[in-house]
Amino acid sequence: MLEGIPVIWLQVLVSGLLVGVVYALSACGLNLIVGVMGIVNMAHGEQLMIGAYITLGVYLWLGTQNPLILLVAIPVTFVLGMMIQKYLLEPMMESLEVGTLLLTFGLSVFLSTGGLFVLSANFRFVPLFSGSLVWGELAFPIARLVTAGFAVVLTGAIYLFLRKHRIGGAIRATSQNAEAASACGIDVRKIRILAFGLGSAMAGAAGALVSTSYAFNPDIGMTFILKTFAAIVLGGMGSFVGGLIGALILGVGEAMAAYITTAQIAEMFAYVILVAVLLFRPNGIMGIKKT
Amino acid sequence: MKVRIFQATLAATLIFFALLPTFADRYFINYFLLLFMYLTLAGSWNIITGYVGYLALGHASFFGVGAYVSALLIIEFGVFWPIAALAGGVGAAICAAIMGGICLRLRHIFFAIATLAFSEAIRVIVLSWDDVTYGGFGVSIPLYPYLAPFYYFMGGCAVATVLMTFFLARSNFGLRLLAIREDEDAAESVGVDTTRCKIIAFVMSAVLCGVAGGVYAPYITYIEPVSTFSVLITTQLIVMAVFGGTGTIWGPVIGVILLSTMQEIFWAQFPYLHRVLFGALIVGTILWMPHGLIDVLKTRGLLPRSRNL
Repeated sequence: MLEGIPVIWLQVLVSGLLVGVVYALSACGLNLIVGVMGIVNMAHGEQLMIGAYITLGVYLWLGTQNPLILLVAIPVTFVLGMMIQKYLLEPMMESLEVGTLLLTFGLSVFLSTGGLFVLSANFRFVPLFSGSLVWGELAFPIARLVTAGFAVVLTGAIYLFLRKHRIGGAIRATSQNAEAASACGIDVRKIRILAFGLGSAMAGAAGALVSTSYAFNPDIGMTFILKTFAAIVLGGMGSFVGGLIGALILGVGEAMAAYITTAQIAEMFAYVILVAVLLFRPNGIMGIKKT
Repeated sequence: MKVRIFQATLAATLIFFALLPTFADRYFINYFLLLFMYLTLAGSWNIITGYVGYLALGHASFFGVGAYVSALLIIEFGVFWPIAALAGGVGAAICAAIMGGICLRLRHIFFAIATLAFSEAIRVIVLSWDDVTYGGFGVSIPLYPYLAPFYYFMGGCAVATVLMTFFLARSNFGLRLLAIREDEDAAESVGVDTTRCKIIAFVMSAVLCGVAGGVYAPYITYIEPVSTFSVLITTQLIVMAVFGGTGTIWGPVIGVILLSTMQEIFWAQFPYLHRVLFGALIVGTILWMPHGLIDVLKTRGLLPRSRNL
């Protein structure tokens, strides 16, 4: 029993990290959008929800256990995100910020209530994986391990794309200074559309991963936008690595809070973090001050 | 001449509504009571979002806090409901001062979701602190057998909201808020204490929401956390204010009247679909008439161009 204490903490820590990397995928996506556009996409959580339902749809349609169906949501939400930016947000880029925020809020309401209308509020689940990997006294659900693996690979790929690829460089340039980037011959409008699509695709991918280990319904967008937001506020708005760190801390913190107290109080953890960070360190851990 | 017609219409409307309970059916009294409630909520929200330009997504929590303060005062201490309702306003103001003090030091993008997170947090607190709030069971308030007093009190809230916005729009303070909306850095550099102004405006926009909640609780006689702190309330007041026109005095009024009437006639038959339409309506309004219906009327020459409208 005495040895049991550190083992349970290791279990909590790893479980938290496994959830944290999925949060990280969503948080890095939102941070990409925040960085390039300077606005928060309030419909980010709904894109995550859409990703989850696409996975469910494909799973039911094909009836396969192949984990690669988790990737189907990515192109769909990518195109959806680009269309939202191109047709809805691009005309708003010159107006007051509150208008753009309201627009994405309206979109979020539209998508979540539309989901409730079409898909009903019943909780769904994609039983793609079952069982746990037992290692000594530690046990981890296969679903969490596989989805965490997917999340790490995808986040890493996007990170490398932003660091190494020419277009990734253009996205970073636009997020640092859109006017200067435009002066250097970067088509800022196209970059914004691309960045929004990428951010949405990351939300969609996170949704696909979430669908295999959590029950979800069309209302989950709200919960996840708040968690994603807490993660990026913690890590630093507009900073890719910041979003990653923030999400990992959030995942581990939640797991610990759930272990020490109850799941309901653990739900509060994200909000507590949010308020505390806003109070004491508004720019987050890795925050860059935007002018 | 135009001003006189306007004033005469306004006076006639006020007299009509003051006399309504003496002749109208209970259905209409109930209907207008809820319309007044939404006037209060949408008008209040308009102050922080329309005039200061900060998107607030937590106004359901002010309404809910007001409702809970009022309900608990009534059942635990036997406070007479109008006083409890005013106390609800005080509760909401305190809440807004804390929330504003934290969130309003930040710029737009932080603020919008921080208010949303705050309202979710308040809902979770009310839900899990069941020694005080009775948690998910909700609070039942003994029935107060008259309808008219609630109607007048809620009507008073609506009138107070419009008056508050009216004086705000004409005041020096209101101008400072507009300066913050247009360019916060510029406002700060010419000596506007932006944080202080924003917090005051935020508290102003919360008080009457709290009072409205405080009246709503004894009127409806039963409240529980999920529906009282519902995002749906926030969505509804936002769609109404945005449709009518934010940053104007009468915009939210027009929006509330039009949309609650439409809701009563058509949408009540489609309980789920109408929520989807709300979302679509926000998106459509922002895209095609970003300053709301009232601005369309002004540009078409149907209404005079004036800061007082």
